[in-house]
Amino acid sequence: MSNKDQLSSQLAELESRFRDRLRAELAEMADAAKQVLQGESNDPRSHLVLRDRLHKLAGSAGTFGYNTLGSACRELEVQLQQQIDKPPADETLMRRLAEHIIQLDSLLIDKHETLPQAPSMSDESHIPNADRHIALVVGEQELAQQMSQTLTSFGYQISQFSEPAELFESLDSLDAVIIDTSTGEWNAQELTEKLRSTPDSEPLPLLVISSDDSFNSRLASVRAGARGFFTKPVDLPSLESRLERSFTNHQAGPFRVLIIDDDTELAARYALILTSAGMLVESEFDPELLLEKMHAFGPDVVLMDINMPDFSGPELAQVIRLNDDWLRVPIIYLSAETNAERQMSALLKAGDDFITKPISDSALLTTVYARAQRARMVSDALSRDSLTGLLKHADIKDQLDIEIGRAQRSQQPVSIAMIDIDHFKSVNDQYGHPVGDNVIRALSNLLRQRLRKIDRLGRYGGEEFLAVLPNCSIEDAQQILDEIRAAFAALNFSADEHNFNCTFSTGISACTADDWPSDGLLDLADRRLYQAKKGGRNQVCSESE
Amino acid sequence: MNKLERIIHIEDDLSIQEVARVALEIVGGFTVKSCDSGAQGLAETPAFNPQLVLLDVMMPGMDGPQTLTELQKLPCMANVPVVFMTAKAQTQEVSAYHQLGAAGVIIKPFDPMTLSEQITEIWNTWHEQ
Repeated sequence: MSNKDQLSSQLAELESRFRDRLRAELAEMADAAKQVLQGESNDPRSHLVLRDRLHKLAGSAGTFGYNTLGSACRELEVQLQQQIDKPPADETLMRRLAEHIIQLDSLLIDKHETLPQAPSMSDESHIPNADRHIALVVGEQELAQQMSQTLTSFGYQISQFSEPAELFESLDSLDAVIIDTSTGEWNAQELTEKLRSTPDSEPLPLLVISSDDSFNSRLASVRAGARGFFTKPVDLPSLESRLERSFTNHQAGPFRVLIIDDDTELAARYALILTSAGMLVESEFDPELLLEKMHAFGPDVVLMDINMPDFSGPELAQVIRLNDDWLRVPIIYLSAETNAERQMSALLKAGDDFITKPISDSALLTTVYARAQRARMVSDALSRDSLTGLLKHADIKDQLDIEIGRAQRSQQPVSIAMIDIDHFKSVNDQYGHPVGDNVIRALSNLLRQRLRKIDRLGRYGGEEFLAVLPNCSIEDAQQILDEIRAAFAALNFSADEHNFNCTFSTGISACTADDWPSDGLLDLADRRLYQAKKGGRNQVCSESE
Repeated sequence: MNKLERIIHIEDDLSIQEVARVALEIVGGFTVKSCDSGAQGLAETPAFNPQLVLLDVMMPGMDGPQTLTELQKLPCMANVPVVFMTAKAQTQEVSAYHQLGAAGVIIKPFDPMTLSEQITEIWNTWHEQ
């Protein structure tokens, strides 16, 4: 066993001991905070004790990988210190701090989400909903039932509440909240505060339903932190689509930053600053290993020292740019170079921005964050269909080839399904294109949720979808698609106060170890789709006539 | 330059003490003496005769900078680098620690996997200067 492996196993042991200690410590801190809340303890000495405890946790939690908890403690420590520095402490602020301290234990579960994971860029849009718990605060019985049914068919778990106050008691277990503003008394400010676990954390996604379509009603929703606003009658598929999108924003993986700097101490410092803001950071000091690292890590942003022994930053940046896959990755130079002309010349060769050393923590963070965010959006927009967020025609065909190759190597079956919405043209003609788009989005969301993480899904044409199901027999594919078919047929769409339903037809083909007709796989699925249409639509066909 | 072998670690947080000790012992192969307070660190230093001191900044009783001042009075501490360990990552504070005579600063949270490398770097730089 190597030294590092040995250390890993020792660390795992220490971590489990630390976790026990941490629970006890958080419980004691919560007790102390409760005394502050009850006004029993507002003397400066108890604030000092609390500050020291937060300080300790800020250092140790992060070292054991509880980065979110560590950063939260650090933030609370800073705020508490401000109160200590300027006595007397502001009571309202102290109460709020105390409330956050009491809730710190909810961050204990976050550890594994913030630890480095293997890159899985293509999996990001395939987040299953099975564990997502949605609260419905909708008083109107019929609407509540309809919503519950629709969202359940998309794989969400639904809990219904009759008023906001009831909801606040079970916030911990929830992933999103849908609230009808005509249900009970609700207060936008209270809601905003309750939906955040700490002052700086992202609030739970909130969608608002209202019978009041006025500007003021929308503004109130925005102030409560709403990510979606729907008037009655509620268009359920677009509500579902909005819900889905709020999760993609909410839970997209952390930004990945690659640092290339021969000054390891400095690189470690940058890494620390970026890591404490929740980013995943790796450093590579050996330019020879750079390309390998780019492949394995898949960074959103590259931070590059401009002067290194043997190579210059712009040279390395040009090497990176030789590969089409990395044209979208921003490269930011770190340099003591202040000569504008030389900076420009470095930018012309390759690279997107300059940060001049010495650099403040916040400037580093802001630059990297802004670049990473933009790069993700651009990259996503380029490879995904704008309406559905699925892969585009060419990209899904690439995926099909990759999966067939993989299936042949591993001797596992692969099935493909060609899916086409029935009588789609008449939906567009009768209700207009925006409604047609809603139907397409609803089907794409349903497919995304019902298929597995390893399945590949693309929008093949206008109302046509292609799903590639690795390691799945034709019988299983038939069964899965038939379930999705039934769920889709049961969805209610609304347009101009009309309700209507849609169906789709599917042709399935597969290749297995005994039989590899992989060349004609798409054609075969297409022919079976035609058969399904001819056979009366709203059906799945996996056998040739 | 001698090879770095003996490190004294002064830190009141037992969790950090443990992680740092296993990280330095297993990966770096160093001999580590852990102390819970500045006072204990001062008492143990002459007998242990450390080659490097790793010192937490914020401790109850005698804090890191105070401990450093006291340590510097010990004859055995001549030419022994002191490395601060702190959760405060602000640049100004880091330079303030350097002015106090610190050879380097390790920022918490630290990565146990690379702690030994960081310490070795500081040790090497200290001796090159």
